[in-house]
Amino acid sequence: RCLCCVTVKMSVGFIGAGQLAHALVKGFTAAGVIATHRITASSPDTDLPTVIGLRKMGAYFTTSNKETVNKSDVLFLAVKPHIIPFVLDEIGPDIEDRHLIVSCAAGVTISSIEKKLLQYRPAPKVIRCMTNTPVVVREGATVYATGSHAEVEDGKLLEQLMGSVGYCTEVEEDLIDAVTGLSGSGPAYAFLAVDALADGGVKMGLPRRLAVRLGAQALLGAAKMLLESEQHPGQLKDNVASPGGATIHALHVMESGGFRSLLINAVEASCIRTRELQHLADQEKISPAAIKKTTLDKVLQQPGATAAGVGVRTGLNLFNSSTSKHKKN
Amino acid sequence: MSVGFIGAGQLAHALVKGFTAAGVIAANRITASSPDTDLPTVSGLQKMGVNFTTSNKEATHKSDVLFLAVKPHIIPFVLDEIGPDIEDRHLIVSCAAGVTISSIEKKLLQYRAAPKVMRCMTNTPVVVREGATVYATGSHAEVEDGKLLEQLMASVGFCTEVEEDLIDAVTGLSGSGPAYAFTALDALADGGVKMGLPRRLAVRLGAQALLGAAKMLLDSEQHPGQLKDNVCSPGGATIHALHFLESGGFRSLLINAVEASCIRTRELQFLADQEKISPAAIKKTTLDKVLQQPGVSSTSDATKSSVNLFNNRTGVKK
Repeated sequence: RCLCCVTVKMSVGFIGAGQLAHALVKGFTAAGVIATHRITASSPDTDLPTVIGLRKMGAYFTTSNKETVNKSDVLFLAVKPHIIPFVLDEIGPDIEDRHLIVSCAAGVTISSIEKKLLQYRPAPKVIRCMTNTPVVVREGATVYATGSHAEVEDGKLLEQLMGSVGYCTEVEEDLIDAVTGLSGSGPAYAFLAVDALADGGVKMGLPRRLAVRLGAQALLGAAKMLLESEQHPGQLKDNVASPGGATIHALHVMESGGFRSLLINAVEASCIRTRELQHLADQEKISPAAIKKTTLDKVLQQPGATAAGVGVRTGLNLFNSSTSKHKKN
Repeated sequence: MSVGFIGAGQLAHALVKGFTAAGVIAANRITASSPDTDLPTVSGLQKMGVNFTTSNKEATHKSDVLFLAVKPHIIPFVLDEIGPDIEDRHLIVSCAAGVTISSIEKKLLQYRAAPKVMRCMTNTPVVVREGATVYATGSHAEVEDGKLLEQLMASVGFCTEVEEDLIDAVTGLSGSGPAYAFTALDALADGGVKMGLPRRLAVRLGAQALLGAAKMLLDSEQHPGQLKDNVCSPGGATIHALHFLESGGFRSLLINAVEASCIRTRELQFLADQEKISPAAIKKTTLDKVLQQPGVSSTSDATKSSVNLFNNRTGVKK
């Protein structure tokens, strides 16, 4: 991930200007993997605090998703899963052969995206990825799966981008929900753990700031040791637990409370919920009323977006729209 | 400036690996000693270019900064052995959990008028230069001694000075902390494997997620709770997972762990200060090897039966 040799000459766009877009842009620009003037982000909502951050970093911000599409080669869909179908209907007509669509939406399948875009284009290039917020400090964890029309070079391009902000590897799509449960949600488990560790330190007499610092540093150091070692985590744990010492006493209370089981439960719960959301999106009819009204209004205010175009019908099945807007070259 | 390690086990190995990777000191300026040549870490140290010897006295002579990197119950034997060889230049840095500065100073005052002693608590991730270290300075250590130690330890991670009374709590938190993390990572990987991931990928992703989150926290002014909120979208996967953690008392288990480690550290310190520990309680082979070192005789006070290890009454040697 060196700064000097990995520079992407393409333009990158983000549909959505929230936490994820902000984190990725921050990481990409810190890595120097792409020049900020080649980045566009769009959202109908100009009040998001992340919009200011994006502008400050030198990315071009617009309220027009269509403008983002026109200015980009690699297009990240960085909106909430339930917004994806509206976005796809809105930008579908503007997708060209060059576009690589990268969806970061949890639980949204490649086939559902391809199905929507096939109404507009014969061979839409789609990649699905699952990343996480530490991309903002260039220590993200990203996996991606490639759609049927994406080329090998498209995967390599995405890997170049995402590899500049952390770990990145290709997987089969059926693993992505499990990855969501583990490294997608993982940072939240870690924030909870550091908060609790700091509470422990404060209980035993440490000032809060020092306790937070030491707790976070201990987790960071241990994770780095594991990543750089061939050894099993259990072996590394053994190495730290001297006979009759403080650490093995602590480990006992953790095991007594079922510490490990709680973490397995967490990964499972996040993964199951991801699959649930995907199932709901695929199967159920979601009325536009379920979408936050202001968001829908803002989408409709965009030039070129019509109520019919974004599928505003009652009881609409968002991923199985029957409008035939197949645009051939 | 030369650095010595009494003890050639996990801690010495980890510190030497970190220091040499950081380039803060050349390997040929480092000496490590241990009576036990069979330790796997010994060959590691030799491979790094460190001078290894079975003589603690030799390590003392060759060093300016001397780390005591042995188990707490060995400390008194080591102090008696090297006490006569300590010079004015020596800075003694004890890394032994639960061993107080005053107990070390008391022992060394038998040999020297103003022994410069520091106490530090570090952790194993110094080996990858991401350690967490705190130190407290003894009454005869100068400001420059503290700065020197900080320079060394900061090359391998976070390092800050604290009052000595906080060190047991630090032991419970960042001293033992990596073990809590390794346990968590093993469990997270199990969760990933349960949901279909191959083991290696699951371990990799779990470790990367923890590393990234910890780095975000260290680089941010925000409260960990705020960072947690930022990751939890409404009705999403993450908040569902967090509910399970909270239901199971996840936070409480970690508070318990820090507390248990801290309390045990204080217990061990109390045992060392107060109780008479017979040399028979020390593993016999270790004691034999110590006795084999030149200069250490079986008539020295440390080997008297039921000796109170830190309250030895031999006269002060000036």
